[in-house]
Amino acid sequence: MEASQATTTENPNPNPNPNPGRNLNSISSSSPVWPTIDGSLGLSEEESLSYARRFYNFGFLLLPLLWAVNCFYFWPVLRHSRSFPRIHYYVLRSAVGFIVFTALLSSWALTFAIGGERLFGPVWDQLVMYNLAEKVGLTSWS
Amino acid sequence: MAQIPRPRSVLESLGEEIIRIITPVSICMFMVVILVSILTSDSSTTVSSIATIAYSETTSDTTWDKFVGALLNSLVFVAVVTVVTFVLVLLFYLRCTKFLKYYMGFSAFVVLGFLGGEIALFLIEDFDIPIDCITFLVALFNFAVVGVLSVFMSKMAIFVTQGYLVVIGMLVAYWFTLLPEWTTWVLLVAMALYDLAAVLLPVGPLRLLVELAISRDEDIPALVYEPRPVSYNDSGTSGGVTQRRVWRERRNENLNTGANPNLNDNSVLVGNENNALSNLNADGISDSNSSPGGDSVASLVRAEEGRVVERDSELAAPLLDRGMNAPQVERESAMTSENLLLEGMGLGSSGAIKLGLGDFIFYSVLVGRAALYDYMTVYACYLAIIAGLGVTLMLLALYQKALPALPVSIMLGVAFYFLTRFLLEVFVVQCSLNLLMF
Repeated sequence: MEASQATTTENPNPNPNPNPGRNLNSISSSSPVWPTIDGSLGLSEEESLSYARRFYNFGFLLLPLLWAVNCFYFWPVLRHSRSFPRIHYYVLRSAVGFIVFTALLSSWALTFAIGGERLFGPVWDQLVMYNLAEKVGLTSWS
Repeated sequence: MAQIPRPRSVLESLGEEIIRIITPVSICMFMVVILVSILTSDSSTTVSSIATIAYSETTSDTTWDKFVGALLNSLVFVAVVTVVTFVLVLLFYLRCTKFLKYYMGFSAFVVLGFLGGEIALFLIEDFDIPIDCITFLVALFNFAVVGVLSVFMSKMAIFVTQGYLVVIGMLVAYWFTLLPEWTTWVLLVAMALYDLAAVLLPVGPLRLLVELAISRDEDIPALVYEPRPVSYNDSGTSGGVTQRRVWRERRNENLNTGANPNLNDNSVLVGNENNALSNLNADGISDSNSSPGGDSVASLVRAEEGRVVERDSELAAPLLDRGMNAPQVERESAMTSENLLLEGMGLGSSGAIKLGLGDFIFYSVLVGRAALYDYMTVYACYLAIIAGLGVTLMLLALYQKALPALPVSIMLGVAFYFLTRFLLEVFVVQCSLNLLMF
């Protein structure tokens, strides 16, 4: 019997799943069988597709962190894009969306923080969080 | 060409598993200590909650008054927790698992969103971070929603789920450290005793819950921390693992219980050869995976809204020993104890050890409260808690059933706190003053 030594969780060897022709090669085969970062503990390929699609769609509700989790979770897909073409479609777009959103948000936040009152005038005092929290009364446990 | 599988000693696997449980507990405690150190002010803000409903401590009361007041507070709290747990058992008995899941998600959202938001606001005020409200709200919204998804969905990235569970434990524990001092200590001891009773007594709610879950072979929706199962490099392990997982899922579908979306996928059975027999045995062990603790947290969170805290009991998943690692038949038969979760530590269906979130919270509360005095007590209490956790794990290995994880650690922690505060500190200070040691 072919005993294979699984050294990484991402490369389980006998694969019961829809990726034929990749078994037998245990130690760090070039293309992974599992699309998730959890390897054999994660999802199978069909479920991964639905998860990736759902994460991608929900991320449009102002949830860039969900896109980031999508990229993190399906990191093997980003690295080996040819093995999982359908999942790669969603994960790539999630990555792009996350980067764009983060760039926009951080540029706004940095402008706000560095510009301060000089740039914004009295509006700055109204927008900054600690003043707002004090006005609304959130800063004490009451 | 066959490879000779390298025999693994029990020590290797056991050490790895213990590390995988102790690491998140330590991280949670560390974060709470940091939060407590940063955010303490001289005018200590005390929350009014259900834990202080009977008596609110003032510094001018006599010692005896404080003690009696704290006792009353703790009794009220434990009573509320008992009632809530019984309600949980009832709901689970009536198969309202969906409701429990939604409640758990909702409580996670409240903890992450509101409690997390308040603590973030404290930090912002403390450090004068010039963040504007739009960025803050977007970030908080993201944080809370992804957190809810990670505890809600059974198949989120393991690291994300574990991270969010630790964060939830940390936030709730910080909130608890705001209780008055005497109340906190008496409450900890009371919860340890309650845990002991609820898990071990035949009439205890947690034991009932676990038995219900086992008899129905369902998962309890709750917040439980389950580390990754230790994978062994035995031959065919990966195949076994994969097979086991698929088999388990199919089996669950066949059961059609309708409950259980909260299958912990990480609970893949650990290492064993892929013989169907072991699979069968392994699956025979029910996976009680979530302790209703999660729900408790939820109720806790909800209560927090109205400044009422209900503590839930579950946090501790019963500790089950993983007997699975050695490929020996007798250990497999020992696996028939189920993984009960609820209080204490439990064994996941995969055989990984499970620890309820309540344990995280109360350990961190103890260490956080110790941090409010001095760092010396922090070190002593940390060591005591880890020692208690080790003892509980050994007992788990011995008894192979759900065990409460709170009593040993809390008792050791409280004892060490008072010993350090009243004896060790004097000794160390005097030695240092006289340039003898330290």
